Formats: sequence, structure tokens, C-alpha cells
Amino acid sequence: MSYLATSHFLDDNEFVDKYLYSMRTGELDLSWMDASTKDVHCTSANERRGLTFRDLDVDGYGFSDLPEVVRENRCYAPRGAEIPDGVPDMQASVNRSSDVWAYNVEGYVEEAMSRQWDATTDIPWAELQEAELPEEIGKAYAQLLTFLTEVEMIATDVPAKWMGQVNADFIEVKNFIALQAMDEARHAEIFRKRALSTGYGLMRASVQNEHNLKFLRDAETFSEASVTLHLQAEGNVLTMFRFSEYISPTDADKRMFRLVMQDEARHVGYGMQHLKWLMKHNPECRETLHAHLEEAENFLFGSIFANEVFEPFVILSGKGLKKENIDKGLVITGMFQMRQTEEYFERLDKCGLTDRRERSRLHEVYEMTKQGLAAQGAI
Amino acid sequence: MKVDFPSASFFEALNDRMAQEQDRFTRLGYFDTTFGVTVVGPGERRRNYLLNFEVYECMGAREIDNLEGEDPDFVLEADIAQWQDMLRNIQSNGGADTDHGINTLTHFGEGMKVIYDDPERHDKLFRFSESIQEYFDLAADLKIEYAS
Repeated sequence: MSYLATSHFLDDNEFVDKYLYSMRTGELDLSWMDASTKDVHCTSANERRGLTFRDLDVDGYGFSDLPEVVRENRCYAPRGAEIPDGVPDMQASVNRSSDVWAYNVEGYVEEAMSRQWDATTDIPWAELQEAELPEEIGKAYAQLLTFLTEVEMIATDVPAKWMGQVNADFIEVKNFIALQAMDEARHAEIFRKRALSTGYGLMRASVQNEHNLKFLRDAETFSEASVTLHLQAEGNVLTMFRFSEYISPTDADKRMFRLVMQDEARHVGYGMQHLKWLMKHNPECRETLHAHLEEAENFLFGSIFANEVFEPFVILSGKGLKKENIDKGLVITGMFQMRQTEEYFERLDKCGLTDRRERSRLHEVYEMTKQGLAAQGAI
Repeated sequence: MKVDFPSASFFEALNDRMAQEQDRFTRLGYFDTTFGVTVVGPGERRRNYLLNFEVYECMGAREIDNLEGEDPDFVLEADIAQWQDMLRNIQSNGGADTDHGINTLTHFGEGMKVIYDDPERHDKLFRFSESIQEYFDLAADLKIEYAS
């Protein structure tokens, strides 16, 4: 118990007498009926879509007029409500719009809500039970699923960690990251379920990947957490999901990856829109972000070339462990990794961090992979 | 009734089926994107279609001369043989199999190219991946006359 009331209400005679008086006489205070708030009657712009957050963007309640720094609301009073004197300071640490806001965040929330799905019932698990995988493919797939489960568990924890730190006036962002935590928890659930239905169970956690996940979790600001989680890590994982769909052994596995891909792409979308907002409204943070990405890229390189991460992709894309399978798998995996890097820089360019491409050492990795593929005559 | 592929009437037939299967698409969620389809061939011929999806349905599918002025989120482009192969596969399996899904065909651009200018709008292909796949899977029971 870390927070105590300023009085014991049962021992507060004035408070108790007021309650008893109301009970005895039926006389109510009703001063809250005169709250200094706006009378509004919001309606759906599109009835098929329903009543959306965008429909609530009206004078007195909307998000369009949010200030850069929220000073007035320090508690959980919903934006637009009257805040009486004496409310506690909940000590949210994220109180600047530029630290958290994203273009179209209200649209991403609605999309996230409407595109929820169910890991237990939306996958034809019975069909998967009949799918027999050769041992090396099955084990490689189980290893990939082990890695993805690890990743999704941290991706659940990071938005959940920040949710309570974000000022209540940013309700659309809070709802988005709450839904993201739900999405990621569902991903951890589905990958665990799939791993335990392959016949091989879970395989091995990766040391390098775990260090990368610790880095992701321990970001010091929401924007640092967002640029590395939403944009860098989830951008890479999005390409990974598309690749995993591409190499999936069954139709049901493909469906699983299409469903997780949708959620992941939405999180990447939020990350891009936040970074664009940040670059426009707080461009001074550019160097801080570069420094954070520098280390994030270092961790990422360690993670994606960890044996437990790299090798399953090679085996799955080459479809086996024979020399010709491995050769083919190395080429396909190399092309996939080049695609990951290209898309990462494309997204940063679009958000205004165009100089990341020149400053990043990931370019060295890109060139190494390119030369390796060229030596094999693959490109 | 037979529909020609490629043609605007082919996509209109898919839209009719989509309207009949509203529960399926409502379950998948909002589907807000405008994308292009380009069918290359026979020969040098290019036929372009613009598909506009909003909420749970396709609001319009039309053939246009040039997609460039239309500003789609992305364009799926393949030669006619590839489109026909995909549709025949959908028809024989009741939906695309592991080698004929849109993501698989476009992943390395081997079978089908994804053309885009803006990475954010390109990502809509993935944000609405399942809806897009199920839209094309609606061709499973169409009677299709293929251009030769």
C-alpha cells in the first residue's frame, strides 16, 4: 500500500453527516450538473463505420486542438471534463504531444479494434494436426516459432509499460498502445500454440536476441521506445512475417502469418506517423534518436545473425539440410535480409530521418550480403 | 454467367460476391485502401483497374488507361499468364494454395510486382492482407473466360 487517503472518511463527521442528510431528506448536491463543459451531440460521419474517435473531434473534447504540453490535466479526468481542485497528480511522465502523438492515430485505433481476431478459433488447428513436417523442417519451424514468441512477449510488455505513463489527455494513443499490447499478446499466444502443435515443441531462446529485447524494453523515452519497437523492430518483424508466410509449409500457417502481419503493419504505421510528428514538432531530438538507433542497429545485427534466428530461415527457405538446400536457403535468406534493410531505410526516409542511411553501419551489412549474393551469382 | 478476365465486369462480379459475403468481411474488419491491378498482355497490351475499398466493401472497380494519375496506395502488376495461373489455382482449390497467395507471389516480385511510391501506403497491402486475399479468393466459383 503506497498511497494513503488524506483523511479517514468514516471518521470525517462533516462528510458522514452530509451523506446521512442526503439519505434522510433526499436533498442532493447536484452541483456537478453545472460542470463547465460543452454540450455536444456527436454523430457518425459514416454509419457503416459506426461512431469513431474522429467523430468526437469537436470543440471542447477533440484532439485537433491538443497543446504541445499538457499542464492542466494531471489525473485521469477524461479530456473535456471539468477538473475540480484537489485532484491528485498521477505523475504521468509523457505530457508532450510531440513525445507520443501520431498523424491519424485515431484511425489506427479504430482499425485495430475492428480487425481483432482470435488465435484459438481463427486458425484451422485441426487441419494443422494432420500436417506432417519432415524432422529438419519441423525443428527449424519450431525454432522460428520459439524466437517469434520471445519477440512478441517483449512487444507486449513495452506498450504496456508505457501505457500508464502517458497523460490521460492522449486517450487515443493510450487506446492504441493498449490494443497493441493485446495484439502482441495474441501473437505470443499463437506462436506458442503453433510451436506446441508441430510435434517438436519449443526449441532454444537466443542470447543475442534476449539482449536486443532488453534494449527495446529499457528505452528511456516513449519516442525512443517507439522508433525502435514500432519502426525498427516491428518493421523488421513485418518483413519477417511476410517471408515466413512465403516459406510456410501449409495453408493454415500462411493464414496465421497473414493475420499477424496485418497487426504488425498497423504498429509500423503508428511508428512512422509518430516519428513524422516528432520530426516536425520536436526536430531537436534528431541526434538523440540517431544515437539510440545506432545502438539499436548494433543489437539488431547481433540478433538477426544469431544461430537460433538465422539458421531456421536458411533451412526453411531452402526446404532442407542437404548442401543444395542450404545453398538455396542462404540465397533466399540473404535476399530477404537485404529487403529488410531496404525497407527500414525507406521508412526512415519517409519520416524525415533521411541521413540515417548514410550514418548507419547496417549499410555495411547490406553491402556484405549483396557481395555474398553476387559471388554466388544470385544477383 | 461468364465474365471475361481481364475486365471491369470480373471485378464487379467479385464485388457482388463481397456484398453477399458481408459477414465474412465484417469479421475481418475495416478495409480502407485504394489499389491498382495491372494485367500485362497478351503482347504489349496493359490493362489497368482501380479498386476502391471502404469500411467493408468495394465502392468501385473501374478500368482506366493509366494508373499514374489516380494515386493508388500500391499496384499489383503481373503478366496475364500469372494472373490466370493464380485464378485457376483459386478455382481448383476454393482459394489460393501455398504457392498462389498474393503475399507469396509478390514477396520477391517473382510472380507479381508491387509498385509503390510511399512505404506507408505500401504497408496497406499488409495491413489488409487477409481481406485482400479473401477478395481474390471470391473468384473460386466464378465462371471465367480468359483472354487468349
